[in-house]
Amino acid sequence: MKTLQKIAGLLVVTLFAFNTLSAQGYKIGDQATDFKLKGVDNKMVSLADYKDAKGFIIIFTCNHCPYSIAYEDRIIALDKKYSALGYPVVAINPNDPAIEPKDSFELMIKRAKEKGFTFPYLFDDGQKIFPQYGATKTPHVFIVKREGGKNIVKYIGAIDDNYKNAGDVSKKYVEDAVDALLANREVEVKNTVAIGCSIKVKK
Amino acid sequence: MKRFITPYYALLFTLPFLTIATYSQQSITKAVGNDIAEPVIKVLDYNTLKPVYTKENDTLYVVNFWATWCRPCVEELPHFMAVNEKYRENNRYKMILVSLDDAERATGAVKSFAKRLKLDVDHYLLDDIKKMNEWIPDVDSLWTGSIPATLFIKNGKSLQFAEKPLSKEELESIIKLHL
Repeated sequence: MKTLQKIAGLLVVTLFAFNTLSAQGYKIGDQATDFKLKGVDNKMVSLADYKDAKGFIIIFTCNHCPYSIAYEDRIIALDKKYSALGYPVVAINPNDPAIEPKDSFELMIKRAKEKGFTFPYLFDDGQKIFPQYGATKTPHVFIVKREGGKNIVKYIGAIDDNYKNAGDVSKKYVEDAVDALLANREVEVKNTVAIGCSIKVKK
Repeated sequence: MKRFITPYYALLFTLPFLTIATYSQQSITKAVGNDIAEPVIKVLDYNTLKPVYTKENDTLYVVNFWATWCRPCVEELPHFMAVNEKYRENNRYKMILVSLDDAERATGAVKSFAKRLKLDVDHYLLDDIKKMNEWIPDVDSLWTGSIPATLFIKNGKSLQFAEKPLSKEELESIIKLHL
C-alpha cells in the first residue's frame, strides 16, 4: 500500500511538472521582455540599446549543439542581410556551463571569434531570460517587432526547413517572417517546430 | 533471466558516479556483459514509422526519440532498458526507439551505440528532416522539438508525452498507469 501511495504521489508530481513545462513562454502577440546580458565583447547588451531597430531576430543558440553549429553560417547571413534593414540578430546562449562545459562564456568568446559573429552573442547568466521566452531548445528563434516601444512576438520557431543542407532549403521561415514585417504584412507562418538540443539546466 | 537483468542494475548504480563529461564508452562496455545480437536500425520516413506504433491492438507503445549526440538521451537509455527488461514479456506492452541522427550514421555511430548500450528493442532511424514541422506536431501537439522525448500511446491515442529526461521511477510509474 505504501508503495502504491508513493507511486501515486510521484505521479502527481510528474504530471504537475509536465503541465507547468508546457504552459510557460510567449505566444504570438505577447510582449517580450528586454534583458541586460553580457556579450562576448564583455559589454552588457539590451534591446533598448538599439535606438533605430524596427525589431529583432532573437536566437537562443549555443556552441555544443550540432543543430546550432549547422546553422551558424546561416545566422551570420541573416544578420548581414537584416541588420541594415532594421532587424538585427541577437544570439543568446541559454545553457548552464556546469551541465554543458562546451557552452562556457570563455568558449562562447572563442567560437564567436572563430566564426566571425557579426551579432552580439550573449550569455543568459543565471538562466533568467530563456524561461520567460519559453525557449526549450537550441536553436530556437523569436522574432519581435517594435510597436509603440514594446517588443511584440511575431514568430516563434525554426530558421528554415533543412538544418542539414542549406542548399536544399524549401521554406525560409525566418526570412519570410521578417520580409513580411518589413512590408507591413502579417507573418503567414507564425509558429514552426524543428528538432533541437534541449536547454541544459541543473536538475 | 536474472543473468540478463543484473548488468543493467550494475549500470544504473555505476552511472551516477561517472561525471557527465565522462560517460565514456569504456565504462559502459565494462559494466555490461555480453553484447546483444547485431543491432538492426531501420531507416524510414514518418509515414512509414507512424503505423508501427499506432496499431489498434490494445498495446501500450513507449516510443523514445533520441540521438547519439544528445547527452541527456544517452544518459536515460539505461533506465529505459532496465524498465523494458521488466515489462517486455507483457504482450500488451512494447518499447521502441527512434533515433533522430543523420541517416548516414545508421550503420555507424547509431549501431555501435545500440550495441554498446545494449539497446535490445525495435530500433528505427527517422529520416524525414525536411518535414519536421509536420511530423513533430503529429507525434504530439505539445512537442516543441527538444529531445529526449517519450510518447506513451495506445490504439493510436496519445496517453502522455514527456519532453524531458525520465528517471527509472518516472518511466515505470507512467507505464504502470497506462498499462
